[in-house]
Amino acid sequence: MIYNRRHFLTILASTIVVPQFALAFGALDIVATTGMIADTTRRIGGSHVNVRALMGPGVDPHAYRQTRTDITSMTRADLVLWHGLYLEAQMEDFLEKLARRQPSIPVADAMPRELLISHADYESRFDPHVWMVPKLWSSVAQEIARVLSDARPDAAEDFAANLAEFEGELDTLQTYGETALATVPESARVLLTAHDAFSYFGNAFGYEVIGIQGISTESEAGLNRISTLVDMLVERKIGAAFVESSVSDRNIRALIEGAAAQDHTVAIGGELFSDAMGADGTYEATYIGMIDHNITTIVQALGGTVPERGMNGKLAAGS
Amino acid sequence: MLWQALTLQLGYNATLVTLGATLLGVAAGVTGTFLFLRKRALVSDAISHATLPGVGLAFILMVAMGGDGRSLLGLMLGSAASAWIGLLCISALTRRTRLAEDAAIGAVLSVFFGIGIVFLTFIQTMSEGRQAGLEGFLLGSTAGMLYSDAVIIAVGGAAVLLAVIAFRRPLSAVAFDPEFAASSGLNVPRLDLIMMGLVMAITVVGLKIVGLILIVALLIIPPVTARFWSERVTGVLWVAGIVGGVSGYVGAALSAIAPALPTGPVIVLVSFSMFALSLLFAPARGVLAAVLKHLSFQRRVHVRQGLLALAQGQPIYEKLTLRLLRRAGLARADGVATSDGKARAAKALRDETRWQMARSREEFALAATFYDGLTEIETVLTGDQITELDRLIGAPKGVRP
Amino acid sequence: MTAIELATSNGTRMDDLGADAALAIRAMTVSYGQKPAVFSVDMTVPIGSMTAIIGPNGAGKSTLLKAALGVIKPLAGSATVLGQPVENARARIAYVPQRASVDWDFPTRVLDVVLMGLYRELGLLGRLRGTHKARAMGCLERVGMQDFAKRQIGQLSGGQQQRVFLARALAQNADLYLLDEPFAGVDAATEKAIIDVLQGLRADGKTVVAVHHDLSTVPDYFDRVFLINTTRVAEGTVEEAFTPQTLQEAYGGRLAMGQLGQTALGA
Repeated sequence: MIYNRRHFLTILASTIVVPQFALAFGALDIVATTGMIADTTRRIGGSHVNVRALMGPGVDPHAYRQTRTDITSMTRADLVLWHGLYLEAQMEDFLEKLARRQPSIPVADAMPRELLISHADYESRFDPHVWMVPKLWSSVAQEIARVLSDARPDAAEDFAANLAEFEGELDTLQTYGETALATVPESARVLLTAHDAFSYFGNAFGYEVIGIQGISTESEAGLNRISTLVDMLVERKIGAAFVESSVSDRNIRALIEGAAAQDHTVAIGGELFSDAMGADGTYEATYIGMIDHNITTIVQALGGTVPERGMNGKLAAGS
Repeated sequence: MLWQALTLQLGYNATLVTLGATLLGVAAGVTGTFLFLRKRALVSDAISHATLPGVGLAFILMVAMGGDGRSLLGLMLGSAASAWIGLLCISALTRRTRLAEDAAIGAVLSVFFGIGIVFLTFIQTMSEGRQAGLEGFLLGSTAGMLYSDAVIIAVGGAAVLLAVIAFRRPLSAVAFDPEFAASSGLNVPRLDLIMMGLVMAITVVGLKIVGLILIVALLIIPPVTARFWSERVTGVLWVAGIVGGVSGYVGAALSAIAPALPTGPVIVLVSFSMFALSLLFAPARGVLAAVLKHLSFQRRVHVRQGLLALAQGQPIYEKLTLRLLRRAGLARADGVATSDGKARAAKALRDETRWQMARSREEFALAATFYDGLTEIETVLTGDQITELDRLIGAPKGVRP
Repeated sequence: MTAIELATSNGTRMDDLGADAALAIRAMTVSYGQKPAVFSVDMTVPIGSMTAIIGPNGAGKSTLLKAALGVIKPLAGSATVLGQPVENARARIAYVPQRASVDWDFPTRVLDVVLMGLYRELGLLGRLRGTHKARAMGCLERVGMQDFAKRQIGQLSGGQQQRVFLARALAQNADLYLLDEPFAGVDAATEKAIIDVLQGLRADGKTVVAVHHDLSTVPDYFDRVFLINTTRVAEGTVEEAFTPQTLQEAYGGRLAMGQLGQTALGA
């Protein structure tokens, strides 16, 4: 009811001002590309953020093309977080153009260059798979915290506290990895996977890493590569290969058949989460769970000692 | 290294891929021949693109029912089903509307492919299902060939090959003269559908290996190449099979020795180079042969005309004619005939006169069809007939024999 | 047939006249889109006759033959050959289509084309024996093309191609020969060769029906005519049906008067 002019103006003013308040104090609407970024953002942002990931389990970020629904949700979001370092190869054009209209940040791009591995053929291109090593991922977590604090300065304290807690978990995970992976006999420390996603992992934990396809899954493995790898497998008596959840296992199976023809058995050591996390709602669908699963699976397959259910005892049985 | 590759000494994977690619090449080359002869080559492109929605839908359905989305059998059945529907659409569009066949093919190709991409895009967002690798159907992944793949190619390819050979006569008749074929009792629409069905079978078999974009090349390039080498349908079938097989063999071998060469595209490049060589150097129909034949024909015409001119005492103006006559020792630089030349000229004139007489008489009508300004009449008529001609020529003008 | 008889009969019951005929067409109607090319045409061809189908361009002459043979699907009507439906009488029919409908760059030789006439006999997997080749060569000899057996068909002249087509039809050993414009675009020698063959067939008791375009030769080559201009205009012997009146009716104003007078007088 409008009693007089003054009341009317107050009500009118509040209908304009209240939404602004809501914007300033409600949850940030964030769209992240990979699940790893989404999970990390949720950990750091807490109740201040509402995060949606574009790429779910089993989705290959090297090949992902945005759909119209994706574009709509990205343009409506308050903030878009993507990985950068040319991981989202098919989307990079769009994400860079988006940055002209609204905040669209490549969170891994801010990593110091000396920590990165550059591509064998292209000097200015880097291997994007930095999430494989918790210690490296903490740089990205710090960047995410910085971006969130920029967007929501009043919640900066909360972000800092969450970041500290998360980094603590990353430290624990790093230590767990170093210890467990060191229990594998040196001669067995070979990681054979579908594509070259584990170079940082190999460097950090002292493993030799062989990917059938190159850094990106867009390149086709040639016949020559398969034959060469088979010969190497047999010669060095490598016993395990790993399939990846987001890449076809065809090439791995071809390697195993080729080795079998030379009377050498190569077993599938397990499925690793290379570019995507586990099924929604599981422990493996968090960053910690994903890396925990990778470390535990690798160590078990290559003959080391490690708790069967992983660092926190939360891994799915028989994984 | 190449030698080792070609003699299958490079290990299990290389051998498997080489043999599988060869079998597929032979079967595809032979099957594509009738497609090419029937002038329906573009339909193979539509069929291959129309497999995509079937692959996508099969994956979605299999996952929805709780099964393994990547079961090869399910995907192959799905691809065959949507390809078949695409074929029926093309047939219906051409027969029931005013659309020309190439427009119908283009429409089906793009619409089905588009639907397939929509399914693939949807699949990429599905959170269960292990969808990695479905795009492998687009460009294939030949290098990662498994033993089970090779078995499918061998069995499927052999079955299709046998069917094509069994049906070669009706298919040839329909390709050459569909109206005559229909009048002699052949069911032309059904035979066309059979041919398309065989093409579809090859497409489905080869889909996972070389991908839907490249399977068309394996179907079309071998028969087109073979056409340069044979003038009979059985000849074209044989050569197409050989070209397809050789492309598969050599292509796989090459990709086995050089790093970073994708096998499927290399096979296509090998077959294309065979086509290019045939185009240029095939003895009867190649470009080089045509040029040489033309030059030779030109020379013979000039020499003949020069001789006729010499025989009739006419001056020779064309430099080329003079040059050719001089080179053959038939004339001097100033255009005067040598003794050799005089003899040849007289002979040419007599030959020409006989021809003109033959062409004017009804009893020599059939022989007259052989006249081309160069053929000598002794090669066409018997001695007796030539004597008769001479008698007619010798008769004084104005007297009717 | 009156209009009422037309409407009620689909030609399923063949009248007595038809049972004896080499070729009997009843109520044949063919249309492309909405426009009729052939409308309710009846035709009766006596055994042993030589009939010319004549009419102006677009009159439906080729269409009539093709529809009778089942090469194209008619809207209505039926045809029988020697009392049997066409489907059951394939072994007794030979068809020579128009030359223009064939791709002459097709990889096949003259002898191969003639052998195609034997395919129906051979079936899917029957072996091609020397006797078959000899028969094919015999047919080539009858048309004077035996020296061309190994030539690729694209190297032949128009007249030579037409003769090869005729040889293919001869190889089918039929009783009824249907030819679509056999003399179109051929040289005089070929025309003579073809008509000799056709008259030889008639002497053997075979029946010949040909779509013909040259009115001046009709009385010389044929003993019966069938005039058509979408509908039947006249049918009968040359004396009965090939008159200035019938020609006028079939061709409308499209013939010069001199032509009409000349042909009627049999000059």
